[in-house]
This record gives sequence, C-alpha cells and structure tokens, in this order.
Amino acid sequence: MGLVAGKKLFSIMALCAMIGLLLLPIAVSLPSLAMGADAPDAVKKDGEAKVEKGRDVYYKTEGIVVGAPAPKTVDGPRDYPRYNFESRVLLWFANQQHLYYGSFVLAVPIFCMVIEFMGVVTKDKTMAKRYDQLAHDFIKISLTAYSLTAVLGGILIFTFLTLYPAFFGYLSSIFRPVMHVYALMFVAESGTLYIYYYGWDKMTEGFLKWIHLSMSVVLNVIGTLLMFLANSWIGFMMSPAGVDEQGRYLGNIWHVIHTALWNPLNVHRILGNMAFGGGVVAAYAAYKFLASKTDEDRAHYDWMGYIAMALGVAFLIPLPFAGYWLMREVYAYRQQMGITLMGGLLAWLFIIQATMIGILFLSTNYYLWQALGRMRGAEKYQRYIKYLVFVLCCGYLVFITPHTIVMSPAELKAMGGQQHPVLGNYGVMSAKNGGINVIITTTILSFVWYMRGNKVSTVSWSKFGNIFMGVFFGCAYFNIIGLAVLGYYIPANVRVGLSVPQVATTLSCLFFMFALNSFMMKGAKQMGAIEWGKISARSQYALIMLATAFTWMMGLMGYIRSSVRLFWHVNEIMRDNSPWAYTHTVGFAANMISFNVLFFWVSILFVFWLGSLGIKKAPVEAKEGVLGGTPQPAGGH
Amino acid sequence: MKAFMSVVALIGAMGILLLAGMILEIVPSNTVRLVEGYMPMQILFELSLFVAGFTGLSYVLGTMGMPIPRFWQAIAFWSFILLYLKFRVYPPIPFSVRAMYGTVSLVAVFMWVSANEEDWKKFKQPIMNILDAQTGANKMLRYGYLVLLPILIGGFSYNSMVPKSEEPIELRTVHPAPPASTKVHGKTYTLQTSQNPFRVNAEGKYDQEYSNANIVEQGMGRLMKPNANPWDKDAQGYLKYVREGGEIFFQNCHFCHGDNLNGRGLHAFAFNPIPANFTDPGTIAQLQESFIFWRIAKGGIGLPNEGFPWASVMPPWEQHLTVDEIWKVILFEYWHTGYYPRTWD
Repeated sequence: MGLVAGKKLFSIMALCAMIGLLLLPIAVSLPSLAMGADAPDAVKKDGEAKVEKGRDVYYKTEGIVVGAPAPKTVDGPRDYPRYNFESRVLLWFANQQHLYYGSFVLAVPIFCMVIEFMGVVTKDKTMAKRYDQLAHDFIKISLTAYSLTAVLGGILIFTFLTLYPAFFGYLSSIFRPVMHVYALMFVAESGTLYIYYYGWDKMTEGFLKWIHLSMSVVLNVIGTLLMFLANSWIGFMMSPAGVDEQGRYLGNIWHVIHTALWNPLNVHRILGNMAFGGGVVAAYAAYKFLASKTDEDRAHYDWMGYIAMALGVAFLIPLPFAGYWLMREVYAYRQQMGITLMGGLLAWLFIIQATMIGILFLSTNYYLWQALGRMRGAEKYQRYIKYLVFVLCCGYLVFITPHTIVMSPAELKAMGGQQHPVLGNYGVMSAKNGGINVIITTTILSFVWYMRGNKVSTVSWSKFGNIFMGVFFGCAYFNIIGLAVLGYYIPANVRVGLSVPQVATTLSCLFFMFALNSFMMKGAKQMGAIEWGKISARSQYALIMLATAFTWMMGLMGYIRSSVRLFWHVNEIMRDNSPWAYTHTVGFAANMISFNVLFFWVSILFVFWLGSLGIKKAPVEAKEGVLGGTPQPAGGH
Repeated sequence: MKAFMSVVALIGAMGILLLAGMILEIVPSNTVRLVEGYMPMQILFELSLFVAGFTGLSYVLGTMGMPIPRFWQAIAFWSFILLYLKFRVYPPIPFSVRAMYGTVSLVAVFMWVSANEEDWKKFKQPIMNILDAQTGANKMLRYGYLVLLPILIGGFSYNSMVPKSEEPIELRTVHPAPPASTKVHGKTYTLQTSQNPFRVNAEGKYDQEYSNANIVEQGMGRLMKPNANPWDKDAQGYLKYVREGGEIFFQNCHFCHGDNLNGRGLHAFAFNPIPANFTDPGTIAQLQESFIFWRIAKGGIGLPNEGFPWASVMPPWEQHLTVDEIWKVILFEYWHTGYYPRTWD
C-alpha cells in the first residue's frame, strides 16, 4: 500500500516537473518577450532626440527602431564564405535532413499518445497490452531518432554560421529572444521525453497510467510549441513583419513571430508531420512484415502497419485543405508570390506535387482493397473495386493535368495555342478542386467498405441505412462534379468560394458516413475473422510507396516554399547577393530531392536497426490474441 | 440482366469500331463532336461509357463461353486508352501529357488486375505459363522473349540517346509573376490594389457589379444584354468606355488577337506560340485587371527574368497608347468575352 502511494506521489511529482519544464522557457523569456521595454532603454542612452520611428511593413503600425537595417550583402568571402561548390546545396541537405527527423520525432509522440490512450480505454485486456507495447516500441524508435535530430540541428546551425554569416546574423539579431526560448523548449522537450520513456514501466496501471498518459500530452504540447517557434523564422523569411522597409526591428516580437503566413504554416506542418510520421512507421512495419519468418510476426507487423497507415491517412485527408488555406493566404499576402507558385515559374513543381498527392491516395486505396483480402466475407465488395479504380483515376487525371504544358514548338503549333482547347479546361483550379475532392471521397468510400468488410448489419433499419449511404455518396459526387463544372461559368473570385461547399461535401461524407456506418455496424454479424498477417505482399509495397511518396513530397514542398522567395533571403527586405540567387531547374531540384529522400531512408533504416536491438518482446499472452482475429483494432472498427 | 448487358456490350463494340475507324482515317476524329464548353465532361463521359461497354462486352462473351482472359483484357483496355487519347481528341495532345495519362492508366490497369488474389492469379497466368515453359510453344515463346526484350530495350535506349534535330522542348511560363508595382507614363501603379478607372456606374463611381451586369452573356452565343449595347449612340459611362476600348482594340490588337478575341487574328499564325486566346477560361478570366494592364503596357520585352523563355512578340503598348486607352481596351476585352476580372475580396 505504502509502495503504491509512493509511486503515485512520484508520478505526480514527475508530471509536475514536466509542466514546470513546459512553463520554464516561458517564465525565463517573459522579460525578453517584453522586448519593447529594453529597447527604448537602449535608445534612451543616446538621448531622447535620437528616437527614430519606423513603419511596420506588414502591420503598418509605427514603432521605435531598435534594430540595425538588413545588411546589404556582396558576393565575397565576408558575406558568403564557401567551399568550391554551391553553399545552398549543402544548406538544403542539412536543412532537409533536420526537417525529416524533426517531423518524425514530433509526430511519433502524438501517435504514442493516441495509441496509449486507445490501450487505456479499451476494455479488452489483450488488446490493451498490445496497444501499450506498440506505443512503447514507437517511442523507443523515436528516442534514437531524437538524438539524431539534435545532431542534425547542430550541423544546420554551423552550416548557417559558416556559409551565410551575414544572413544568419541578421536573422538571429531579430529572433534573439525567440531563439533562446527555442533552446530552452528543446531542453524541456528532452527532459519530458526521457521522463515519459523511462517512467513507462513504473506507471502501468490505474491512476498511474493516467498520469503517464498526461505526460504524453505535456510532451506533445512542448513539441508543438517548439515547431511553432521554428515556423516563425521561415514565416518571417517569406512574409516579414515587425520590421520597417529597411529591415530594422521595431521592438514588437509578437509581430515578428505572427506574420501573415505563420498560422497556415503551423496547421499545415502539424498535419504534414502526422501524415509523414504515419507513413514512416507504416513503412517500418511493412519492411518488418516482408522480412518476417513466422506467422506470428507477420500478424503483428500487419496490424502495426494498418494502425500507422490509418493514423497517417486520418491526417492526410485534411492536409490538402490546409494546403489550400496556406496558398490562399500566400495569394492574399502577395499576388506575385501566388502566381509564381501556381501559375508561373514554379507551376510545374505543383504538377509534380499533384502527382505525388495522387500517388498517396492511390496507394492508400490500394492497401485498403488488399486488406479486404484478409477478411472472410469481404469478397462481395471486391468485384466493385474496378469501378472505384476508374473513378479515382478520372479524378487523378484531371488533378495532374498541367496548365503550362511541356511541349515542342511543333506540338505547340499543331495545338494552335498555349492552352489545349479540351484539356486546358482541366488545368485550372475549378477542375482540380473537383478532381481532388472526388479522389478523397472515393478514399472515404474505400474506408467505409473496409470497415464493414466482414460484417453484416443487424440493425432493423439496415436496408434504409444502406440506401441512405448510397444516395449520400451519389449526391456528394454529383455536387462536387457539378460545382467543378459550374466554376467555369462564374467569375474567378466567386469560383474560389466554391471550394468551400466542395470541401464541406467531402468532409460531410467523412464524418456522417463514418458515424452512420459505425452505428449500423454496432453488434453486426461477423461473416468471418480478420486474419492478420494473411495479406498480400503487394499491400506492403503499397505502404512503402506511401511513405516514400510522403518523404518525396515533403522535400518537394519545402523546396517550393523556399524557392518562392526567388532572389531574397528575407522577402523584399534582404536580398540574396550570392552567385546562387537563381531558381534551380526542375531536373536539378528533383535529383536533389531524390538524394535527400534516399539519404533519409538509408539513415532511418539504421535508426530502426538500432531501435530493434533493445525492443522487448511482447508478452506471450498478448501475442496469442493476434492470430485469433477476434480483437478489432481501433481506428478501423 | 442479359438484355441490358447486351445493349451495354453494343456500346463497347461501337466504341471500338469508331476508334478503329479514326485510327485508319476512315472516320474523322470529329464525327462525334467535342462541343465547346462541354468538352472536359464530354471526354470523361465518353470514357465512362466505354468502360461500361467493355464490362458488358466481357460479360456477354463470358456467357457465350468465350471469355477473354484477364491478361488480354488488361492489355486491350490500356491500348484502347492510349489510342483514344492519340486519335480521338483533337487538336493533338502533346506527348508529355499523353505520357502522363498513359502512365496513370497503366497504374489503374495494374490496380484493377491485382486488386484481389483471384484476379491477380488470372492476370499472371499467361506470364507464368511462359516463364515455366511446360509446353513446346511456351518454350519457344520464352526463347523469343529472351532475344526480343533486350533488342527492344536496346532500341528504346538508342532512340532516346541518339542526337535529334528537333527543336528542344520548352517549359514556357504562361503567367509570369508580375512585379509588385509598375511605372507607366511616369506614374507608379501598385498591381495588388490598382483599379480600372473606367469601370464605373451611372454615377461615375467604381462599381464592378454594375459593369459585370452589362457584359455579354457567357456561352456559345455571346449575346449582348438588353439595353446594354455599347454601340448605341446614347450609351454613356461604362458602355461608352467599352465602345472606345473596342475601337482601340480593332485599330491595334485584333490583327493578332482576332476579331473574336480568340487569338486567331490575321497575323496570328505567323507567330509561335500564337497570341493569347482571351475566350479561354485560363487567360484573362483568371487574372486581375491590373495584371493585364502591366502585360499590355510592358509587352513581351518587359517580362521579368522568371518569365523566361519569353517567346512573346507583344509590343510594349505604353509606347503607343495612353494609360486611359490601355484601361479602356481591357474593359472591352472583358466585356466581349463575358468574363469578370479576378478580384481578391
């Protein structure tokens, strides 16, 4: 009894320590956040007469100038010291690797939190243990990756300092307090992660388990705040605020952080990290599945891959909408930037991005169709898959049709103009919104089929429910396609607004159909068991494809976001005067992204291997439940 | 069911015959016309019809005891899509786009034939038969492939590596990003906020809703709205400016951009690419008026670096027209095409 009370006390103290760590950076930085306070002091030293005011380039407010103007760099060893090759390529590599690992270690604890929560709330003891073990395995992998993230962060900082001293000096002069808070947050994140991990076996049941779960919440709050702070730097580089036209800091740190693109970037990155993390873990499970020698292992990794995929896709579905919001804000901030991205210089990269998004959804659907194969009783759906393939691919074809077509002059002449009279219509936003919403709705339909694969509803209103669902999906397709067609006949600014009902239709399908299906399947008759591990190898390659596409797309979008500044370090404030202030060719960028992807996957395989050295075997009684098929994983059922 | 599937199969058979006719140039590509304004949906509809037709055809042949093996179904369907894209759609689709579509349809075919184990086995069977080579014929085929495949791959490699005298492929930027502001006749215009001074209502105030209500009707007829004829002697305000813009257009622009504003003027085909087609929903309908103002004023020569390759012979019209004339001609272009300029509100 005394021991339990001691453990409880210890756990509460550990949780308090975590919250303390969370609040520490904020408490320490409070004086710094009130930056305006020490700024005038500095000015006062030179006398009242010298107070100079400037106008915020974004907020248009007046403030006292407290910073130096952005340096006007010149090409040479002082501002751009270098080796015998392009400095920015080295920076690109360091940055991208840090981002990959950063995203992974921020996403995995969120997964752990969700999976641990599922383990706590599930009534099935065997499943609870499996969830708990899975979450523990994940955090173990993340721990090894965490130290690598920190090392890569260090390399990134050194690369900035040694190759772009003038630019980094300017950035750090503005973000001085934020950078210190960031460093402290990193300490807090590390501390919290270690307490969370090493406290796992000490807090396994009852109240103690809830305390442990609360720790994961604190850990994720710190991780998310950490990312928001890092986002403020890139937000500032793209859409500066809090400085005047010369780049002089005006003393309001909130303006510098809260730039025009900060919020959409934050939302987009959270969702992106989660989808990416899900993809990486799913690929890990797929690799282990393919390498498994026993049915038991195959069953375990099949299940793990499914859970990771479901979590990843849950965040993938809203991701295009978050991306849409970000682009909308980019257009609102600078039309010029929006056109460069979507219709101009970088437009072809967006076509590649659309292609990658399509691959993500195609892989997901393909995996789900393959997964129907491990359910007895799901055969009734399989003969309709060809129609889903057709609908998906029609949406995909429209979605990837370029507005700016690559063609030879002879083809251009034969076509009679820059736009193809038929296909040119697919190249504009109205059609593309229709295309992506059709793809997502079809993915939702595949999920619904999967969720009811081996079940027959026993509710009295099941016939009505099925008809209702069929009509709902039919109307959804009609509405999405109808609005896409209507978009051609109305002004562009009204057309932009059509995306709202289209997205609302898709989301309605997601929420209403999932909810209705869950009600219909409550107490449903099982036609057969889910035979975990009895899934085709092709499905696992689909998971690997999903993860590779995520990684490639992250690299691509990072490049696009960075390139849109063109020849500016900080948009319209600090010019890039290095010899590399030009945009790379599409081919070079694609090769560089592929190299980054390859390096990441090779290095993360090493991390997985390291992680696997210390992974505990799941309890025997827990594994026995795996093949029985009775336990139903959450997320899908 | 059988009767229904027979009708559907008939559609599939007709589709194949029509396409064969187009390939052999017996049937012109435009026998079934792609109707302007409905073309994008028409293509998708046609493809849906063919998919249904092929399903019916497969069903009917199956019931007649002549099922088509899954492997050949897949090959035939993919070939059909490739040939459809090449011979049905006119004007010809550039190779880069056909390659994208071809790859997607190949992926689709793979997803279809491998969606479940039974189908996948059926599809693989002919390939496995040749690899296993249990019969003499299969053995011969296997040797044949052993020789043919390397030759084929070698041929493709040679073809892609051999120097060609064709003009290089260009990745032209259709909408180069505009600068934040532009200086015309000594005055600076901020593109994000500049407005057309002639887009005014009866009271002389800037009013886009008013002007939008008086443009020609969208659609095939492009009819003028009642009581909104710019060539009416009594037309005032917006309509009068549209008329003046039209006069400027026909004195300066229509030689290239065409009297129907579709980029097919008298001199259009002397240029490559031909001039912009304003009736296309991908041109002025997508842009702010201030963007058009900048492009007219500065012409091809004034395009920014990132607009490379410029490939535009559009003159810098600021050297020939006043600022007011440029705004008026823009007013006319939107009026005539029935589009509204893009706004950000």
